[in-house]
Amino acid sequence: MGLYKDIKNLLLGMKITGKHLGRHAVTIQYPEEKWTMPERSRGIVVLLSDKETGELNCTGCLLCMRACPSAAIRIDAPRGEDKKRHVKKFDINFGICCFCGLCEEACNFCAIRMAPKYEFSTENKDDLTWDMHKLQEMGRDVDYVDTRKKKIPKPKPAIEEKPASETKPAEVKPDTPKQEENND
Amino acid sequence: MGKLRTEEFQVNMGPQHPSTHGVCRLLLTMDGEKVVDVVPHVGYLHRSIEKICENRTYAMCIPVLDRFEYVTAMSCNYVFALAAEKLAEMEVPERAEYLRVIMLELNRIASHLIFYGTTAMDVGALTPFLYGLRERELIVDLFEMTCGQRLTYNYIRVGGVSRDIPKEFVPKCREAVKIIGEKLSDYEGILNENPIWIARMKGIGLTDPQKAIAWGVSGPVLRAAGVKHDLRKDDPYSIYNKFDFDVAIRWNGDCYDRYLVRLDEIRQSLKIITQALDGLPEGDVRAKVKAKFKPPAGEVYVRIENSRGEMGVHLVSDGSTKPLRVKTRGGSFNQLQYLPEIVRGKGYLIADLVAIFATFDIILPEVDR
Amino acid sequence: MPLVLMSLELIEIFRWAYGLLAELGLPPVWVMLISYGVIGVLMFGVLALLALFLVWWERKVAGHVQQRFGPMRNGWHGWYQTIADAIKLLQKEDVDIIARDKFVFFWAPVLCFVAAFLAYICIPFGKDLIVADLNIGILYIMAVTTFTVIALLMAGWGSNNKYALFGGMRSAAQAISYEVPMVASILTVIIYAGSLSMVDIVQSQNSFFGWFICRMPFGPIAFVTYIIAATAEANRAPFDIPEAEQELVAGFNIEYSGMKFAMFFLAEFINLFTVSAIAVTLFLGGWEGPWLPSWLWFLLKTLGIVFLLMMFRWTYPRLRVDQLMEFAWKFLVPVTFANLILAATMKYLGWYW
Repeated sequence: MGLYKDIKNLLLGMKITGKHLGRHAVTIQYPEEKWTMPERSRGIVVLLSDKETGELNCTGCLLCMRACPSAAIRIDAPRGEDKKRHVKKFDINFGICCFCGLCEEACNFCAIRMAPKYEFSTENKDDLTWDMHKLQEMGRDVDYVDTRKKKIPKPKPAIEEKPASETKPAEVKPDTPKQEENND
Repeated sequence: MGKLRTEEFQVNMGPQHPSTHGVCRLLLTMDGEKVVDVVPHVGYLHRSIEKICENRTYAMCIPVLDRFEYVTAMSCNYVFALAAEKLAEMEVPERAEYLRVIMLELNRIASHLIFYGTTAMDVGALTPFLYGLRERELIVDLFEMTCGQRLTYNYIRVGGVSRDIPKEFVPKCREAVKIIGEKLSDYEGILNENPIWIARMKGIGLTDPQKAIAWGVSGPVLRAAGVKHDLRKDDPYSIYNKFDFDVAIRWNGDCYDRYLVRLDEIRQSLKIITQALDGLPEGDVRAKVKAKFKPPAGEVYVRIENSRGEMGVHLVSDGSTKPLRVKTRGGSFNQLQYLPEIVRGKGYLIADLVAIFATFDIILPEVDR
Repeated sequence: MPLVLMSLELIEIFRWAYGLLAELGLPPVWVMLISYGVIGVLMFGVLALLALFLVWWERKVAGHVQQRFGPMRNGWHGWYQTIADAIKLLQKEDVDIIARDKFVFFWAPVLCFVAAFLAYICIPFGKDLIVADLNIGILYIMAVTTFTVIALLMAGWGSNNKYALFGGMRSAAQAISYEVPMVASILTVIIYAGSLSMVDIVQSQNSFFGWFICRMPFGPIAFVTYIIAATAEANRAPFDIPEAEQELVAGFNIEYSGMKFAMFFLAEFINLFTVSAIAVTLFLGGWEGPWLPSWLWFLLKTLGIVFLLMMFRWTYPRLRVDQLMEFAWKFLVPVTFANLILAATMKYLGWYW
C-alpha cells in the first residue's frame, strides 16, 4: 500500500497549498499601505526639542557620542563664555549607525531618541549624514515624557548625570544605568 | 572491458550560490554528477567581530555581537551578557531571567522556522519558505514591540534586559504560540510524508555520533544522530531547570531526522514559552549595574544551547571597562568542518550536498564572525 | 447569452475573411500565401501573448498560494507586468561571454523558441480551428517538441559553464527518459482513436463518457502517467532539474541575458501550454463541450491543466536526478506499458465502449 499512501500524501500537500489559494494575503502593498511601527521601534535617531520653548534639549554633554558603538555621532559643543556648552554641531551618520539605541539610553536629558520612522534612503551617500537642524525637525512630532528637572542647573560637563540621576525615568526606560565616560 | 573512466573536475559552488546560505565557497570535486570531495572555503563574511569587541565597552559589545549570528541575535546578546555576569558574579532579577528565556525560545522558534523554509526551498519546494516566514513575522513583531528592532535586538544586557515588556506582549505572545502550534500541522502535512521529500531526505548525509562528537558538532545535528546532548538540560543556565520540556532526539542522523528534530524543538520551545508566560513574576528587569561596568580581572567561558548548537563566549577581562579578549564559538563552524567528512567518498550527488548543507542549518556570519 | 457565445466560433471569422480574400480575384497562389502568412503572424502573436499571460498567471498563482499578492503594480492586478518585463528584457544588454561557442550559444535560444511554436501547426484550438490537420499529427508533435532538448543541450554546451553543462546534460537525459512513458501513454489513446490525426482523436471522444480519461480502467492511468511525463517534458517542478535553481543556479540558461534569456523563458511557458493542450486533446475531449463555443472549451480545459501543473510546481519539492531516472524507468515505463497491453487486449476483445 505504499503507492496509495504516497498518492494520499501528495494530494494532502496539494490540499494545503490549495487551501491557501483563497486566503487573503498577509503582505501589504508597501508605498500605498504602510505598517504602523510600534512605539518602541528604533527607526531613526532624532533630536528632541523642548515642548515649550522649542529649543533642543541637548546640553552637549557628549554621553551619547561616547555610548555609540560605531561612532556615528559627531558633536561639537565648545564651552561658551558662560561656561555652558553650546551645541554647535550635532551630526549623525546613518551610514554607520547600527540602530542599537544605546545613545537613547545614555541620554539623561530627553535629548536624543530613536523614533519609529523609516524611509530615509538617499541616492547619495553624503546625504546620510544629518545635521542638527534636520534631526531636530524630524524630532518635532515625536512625543516623549519629559523626565528632566524643570530648571536645569548649570550643566557641568563630564559629571552631568548628578541632577538627572535623581529623576527616575520611570515608564520609558527603567533603571537605565548611568553611563559616564565609558569610552575614552 | 575495463570500467569506463571518467575525468574528475572541479566546480566552485559559491561564494555566490543560491543554496550556500550566505557567502560560503564550496570547492567541489565532481565525477559527473557525483561529489567526490568538498572543501569549504570560509572567510568571505569575516567582519572581525571579536576584535571589534575588544575595543568596545561591555555595553557596546552587545550590539556588535548582534551581528555575530543574526538569525538568533538574542542568543548572542545573552551569551555575552551571561559571560560578563559570571565574571562580575552578578545576580539577575527573576523577571529578567523569565523574559530572557521567553525571548531565547521565541528566537529559537524563529530560527527553526527559517530553517524549515530554507531547507524546503533548497530541496525545491518554494511555498513552505513563505509559510515559515509568515509565522516568523509574528515572533519578530513581538520582538519589535519589546525592544524596537526586528533582527538585531540589543535586548538582553549585562544584568538583565534593556526594558520591560509592554502590556500587550503577554496576550500577543500567547496568541502567537497558539497560531504557531496550529500551523505546525500545515508544515508537517506539506512536507513530512511527501514521498518526494522522503526520497530526498531519508538516508542522506548520515552522521556518525562518535565522529560528530569528535568534530565538535552540537545542537540539533548531534541530537538527530541519537546523542542526547542539550545544554539546557545538561549544563542548565538561566532558569531552564524550572521548566518541563523534553530534549528532541532522533536516531538515524540523516537529513530527514535533522529536519524532524527541529520541528520537535519548535514544539518543546512552545511548551517552555507557555510555562514561562504562566510563571512570569513581577519585579525589576535589570540589576543595578555600575555606571562604569568593570568586571574583575579573570576569564570565563560560558556556553548556551543555540538553535545551531553550542554557542559560547570566552571572555577575558583585565579589570578595565573593555574586555581584553572575546572569543566566540558558534555551532555552524564545527558543522561546516564536519561536512566534507560525511560527503567525501559517499557518492552523494550535488543535490544531496545541497540538502545536507541545508539541514546542517549553517549560517555563514557565525562561521566567519 | 449561450446563444451569443455559441455563435462566436472563431473559425467563422476566418472563413469570412478567407471568402473576402478569395473574392478579390488574386491568383490562387497569392491567396494561399497571404492566408498562410496571416495565420502564421496570428499564431505567433497569440502564442507570445499566451506565454506572457501564463507567466503572469504563474506569478499570481504562486503569490496567492504563498499568501502574497504577486504582481500588483502595472495595471489591474499587474496584468501587463509581464509585457513590461519582456520590453525591459528586450532593452537589456546582451552579455556576450568570451569563452562561449559562438554558433551554438547564439542559436540555442532561437531553436528553443522556434521548436516551441512548431507543435502548434496541428493542435486543434476548436472545431475546424487547426492550421493543418496532418494525418500524423501527434507523431509530428512528439517529433518537433524534441527539438527543445537539443536546444537546451546546445545552450548548456555553448555557454562553456559547468553548471550550464550540467543543466544541458540533465535535460537531455530527462527528456529521453520521459519520452518513453509519454509515448506509451499516447499510444493507449491512439489504439482507441485509430488515428494519429489530432482532429480524428478529438472526434472519437464525442461525449463526456467518450473522453479517454473516462475509459475505465486504462484511461485515467494513461492520463496520470501522461501528466507526470508531460511535467517532466516541460521541465516543470518537481521535475525541473535542468534549471534546478538551488543546485545549478539557473542550469542551462545561466549565461544568457536579455532577450536570449527571455526566449528560453517564453519557450518554457509555450511548452507548458503545448503539453497541456495535448493532454486536453488526447484525454479530455479537446474542443468538445456543450453551450460554449469550441475554442473556449479548449482554452478552459487547457488552462485547467496548466493550473494543475502550476500547483504541482508550488507544492512539491524537486526530485533528485537519479531518482528522476529511476522513477521514469522503474515505475512509469512498466506502468505505461502494462497499461498499453491492457488497453490493447481490451480493444482486441471488444470490452470497451
